Amino acid sequence: MRATTHKSIRDLKRQWRQVAAVAVTIMLGVMVYVATAGAYQNLSASYQETYDRLAFADYVATGGVPTDVATAATDAGASDAITRLQVDPPMLIEDTKLLGRVVGMPTDAHPTIDDVDVIDGDYFDDGATDQVLLETHAAETFGIGPGDTLQIFGLDGWVTVTVQGVVDTPEYLWPARSRQDIMSDPHSFAVAYAPEDMAEQWFGEGPNQALALMPADASAADGDAVQKAMRDAGATAITPWEDQASNATLSEDLDGFDEMSKAFPAMFLIAAGVASWVLLARRIIQERPIIGTLMASGARRGRVLRHYLGQGIVIGAIGSVLGVALGMLANRAVTTAYTGFVGVPDTVIHNYPWMIAIGLAFGIVVGILGALGPAVTASRTAPAAAMRTAGSSKPPGAWSRMVARLDWLPVSARMALRDIVRSRKRTFATMLGTVLALVLVLTSSGMMTSIVQAVNLQYTEINLEDATVAAQQGAGVGDALADVDGVSAVEPTTLGQVTIVADADSYATLLHGYEPDTTMHGFRSQDGSFIDLPTDGVLIGQAVIDLLDVGVGDSITLSTDAGDTDVTIAGFLDEPIGTSVYTTNDAAATILPETSAEAFALSFDDGVDRDQMRQTITQLDGVVAYQDTRAIISTIDDYLGLFWAFIGIMILLGAILAFAVMYVTMAVNVVERTGELATLRAAGAPVRKVAGAIAVESLLATILAIPLGLWMGAVAAQQFLNTFNNDLFQLDLMWSWWVLPAAALGVLAAALISQIPAARAVKKVDIATVVRERAA
Amino acid sequence: MTPTVTAVATNRGVSLKGVTRVFGTGDAAVHALKGIDLEIGSGELVVVIGPSGSGKTTLCNIIGGIDAATDGTVQVAGEDIEGRNPGTLDTFRRDHVGFIFQFFNLIPTLTARENVEVIVEMTGKGDKAHVPDLLKSVDLGDKMDNFPAQLSGGQQQRVAVARALATDPDILLADEPTGALDLPTGRQILGLLQDLHREGRTVIIVTHNVSVAQIADRVITVVDGKIESSTVNDNPADAADVTW
Ligand SMILES: Nc1ncnc2c1ncn2[C@@H]1O[C@H](COP(=O)(O)OP(=O)(O)OP(=O)(O)O)[C@@H](O)[C@H]1O
Ligand SMILES: [Mg+2]
Repeated sequence: MRATTHKSIRDLKRQWRQVAAVAVTIMLGVMVYVATAGAYQNLSASYQETYDRLAFADYVATGGVPTDVATAATDAGASDAITRLQVDPPMLIEDTKLLGRVVGMPTDAHPTIDDVDVIDGDYFDDGATDQVLLETHAAETFGIGPGDTLQIFGLDGWVTVTVQGVVDTPEYLWPARSRQDIMSDPHSFAVAYAPEDMAEQWFGEGPNQALALMPADASAADGDAVQKAMRDAGATAITPWEDQASNATLSEDLDGFDEMSKAFPAMFLIAAGVASWVLLARRIIQERPIIGTLMASGARRGRVLRHYLGQGIVIGAIGSVLGVALGMLANRAVTTAYTGFVGVPDTVIHNYPWMIAIGLAFGIVVGILGALGPAVTASRTAPAAAMRTAGSSKPPGAWSRMVARLDWLPVSARMALRDIVRSRKRTFATMLGTVLALVLVLTSSGMMTSIVQAVNLQYTEINLEDATVAAQQGAGVGDALADVDGVSAVEPTTLGQVTIVADADSYATLLHGYEPDTTMHGFRSQDGSFIDLPTDGVLIGQAVIDLLDVGVGDSITLSTDAGDTDVTIAGFLDEPIGTSVYTTNDAAATILPETSAEAFALSFDDGVDRDQMRQTITQLDGVVAYQDTRAIISTIDDYLGLFWAFIGIMILLGAILAFAVMYVTMAVNVVERTGELATLRAAGAPVRKVAGAIAVESLLATILAIPLGLWMGAVAAQQFLNTFNNDLFQLDLMWSWWVLPAAALGVLAAALISQIPAARAVKKVDIATVVRERAA
Repeated sequence: MTPTVTAVATNRGVSLKGVTRVFGTGDAAVHALKGIDLEIGSGELVVVIGPSGSGKTTLCNIIGGIDAATDGTVQVAGEDIEGRNPGTLDTFRRDHVGFIFQFFNLIPTLTARENVEVIVEMTGKGDKAHVPDLLKSVDLGDKMDNFPAQLSGGQQQRVAVARALATDPDILLADEPTGALDLPTGRQILGLLQDLHREGRTVIIVTHNVSVAQIADRVITVVDGKIESSTVNDNPADAADVTW
């Protein structure tokens, strides 16, 4: 026992570089697991902490008499229910007019549901009349804080209020007016909490929402019961917390971490398993005579098996312990960076024991699996056969003979061609390393470039307008807009909330109306071509096909406060962002309730100063809100910033993975062929040429694997994207032209770099010692 | 001044002075060579004999530039190679020496012909077009496309001889070339080496088989890292007549 332990330690030490490469790969797999699974858990917990602390509403209901709905909710089991007023009025902040949101709140105490966290300034003075609490994103966008003023447009015109405090709120961790409006011009939206009495006075209406909070231990059935009670009490629309715009947007990211925590570590762990398999399998071939001798002298099979398994376990344990440690650090870094970036007020960092246990177990299991095959082979060794030296080389196969005919190829190339077929394990490992690295790199970069291309598509081919304007009807804003310097075209548009009803299913979204020959919106059909707005029927985002189980030609009902309208589906649209209904302005006017507002889409001359345009246009009489389409792109770019960093890390990890696997196979290759190398060196072949011959083999295997890796990477990237697709985003896999060549060149570079140590090994070969040994 | 151009241009001799070789350090140090002075003339056929562990292989490796003397001067084919790391002696080996090993050391994935061609290709010396001739000269004209696994031991060693000749070396170093062969095949290899010697190359054969010494111009006996004797053989036997 003791002697074999010594042997294990010596074996591992002697090959420490290869052992390290395998351990590092395991480490990365475990690290990625702990970091991503941990980030998922911790981000969920961080959100939950904020939600719990600030009593994020489980249900927000509109319709009916809010006090009745609230009472029904508490009667049906909600732990608390309140009512409040929420209105989206025009606001004027720092010379910019926008469509904001005002939410009524008590001044004598914090609300018991959907509370706010004052991060700058103070909560309302009791009985305050001209104070508001400004949501932090708006405060940041406009650069204002406590003491600054803003104006809110009420029934009696503009009211000037003072910012009393800047607040975080669970409802606007991601600032979105609605689920259909999760990406917007930051200057186009602001949330201000106002004293409830004042809000009711400004807008001339009472509470229009009922908010319900469920007990912590409530079941899904309890939730259903409360929702049913609220509906029975008159609520027409209920938004559960999961579907709340901010939460739904952030969940997308969370799900991403969840997906990654499964798929990405698996790739590293497979690679590590295969690398350690190659490593140990090689050693066992080398040690066959020793194993045979041991067994001839009575060593038990089980002992031999355990001896080699033990080495796998040691490698796995080293890798996974380091992986867990690094993973815990990475988890902290990712969680902190993310909550900081999104502005989640609470950051929960916890290292879950089960996660650590799984991480450790993964690494060790990989170590065992990598060692299992070779260990079993070793323990099955027939002593007599094994003690005879393994020197006898197999006669050449058909492939080797065929390659001999390629006499126009350099001999070193023929040697590589034969070796990649002869040393199948090594070739397989090299190819697998290549494929996994490509899959890793392509899924992450594919996701990135697809998002970027989707944004481009959405904002250069679909949303063709430069800006949208909401205005009061009859104020002559259309003409005024056309006169603004820099505006090249103005078109009236229509916008309103509708609920699409098809049989039992329904989906709440936006209805857009455009001129029949609009130049402000491109209608992109499912085959990617652009079509005209139909005069009969509506176009709908394709996500409803699955959501509502509908097809072209089906009749659906569009339900609004004004009543129900039956329309035909004239076609589906493939739009990356959002799922809306489109029709002509005329048709939209008959579907939507009458309003006192009108909307316009604008396009600008090239090179206009957009800040100037915002200022000029929002100050026009009758303009209520303004949204710069281009600003949305920069919002998205901001949002993607963190993810570029993430992609960079993934590409780096992919390169390390490729390098580690190729390094191990290359090292094994050198070990297996030391005799050949030394013989060539003795004949005067320079290191460069000999190392080149070895490199050709690895590179050949890599090159063979590249098409497979690109294909699998594309499939995996598509799968990965599909997990994100829903009614908010429909991402098709789109790559910039350079992604595939860059990925291929990247792994090739990793393969080349992994050959540098080979050259060193070739140089260090002790020719005198090797040439006198009987070739293995 | 000189009778022929080649005779002067080519120094195919070996000159060692005070050569020592110590493996390891301290208590573990092994003194494999303990001060070797040796002159081998251009075109001489020398057989080095001695008991196992006496330092024959070490001596041969130092001459061939795949091992370095710890001390002393080493001049081979006119080049001073003492103190030079074997890793940097590629050019020296390519230009001057050819090795023949006891276990042939053929590359199993290459045919006989490719085993020779690969040397031409990797050293950039010699001519691939001459490889078939080389193989014919060792009587393997009909086995050129066989892989090592399809060749007998003697045939493999003949491929190794052809390979050693691929770079047209001045000095052939054969360490136990017959060690893994039976008598008739062993004789055949010795015959080839003798032919090469007759062409004017210096041939150094290391062996513990005393019978091989019969073909030598000179027999050098190494014992315990030192040259015990150097005996000129006035009447070298023909390889075909050697027995053991
Ligand atoms: N690389 C090495 N490291 C340590 N000692 C070595 C090494 N190579 C040779 N020796 C030692 O040097 C001495 C001479 O070895 P060498 O191989 O030259 O003997 P040899 O005469 O060729 O023997 P044989 O007839 O058995 O081949 C021996 O004691 C040997 O153990
Ligand atoms: Mg020897």
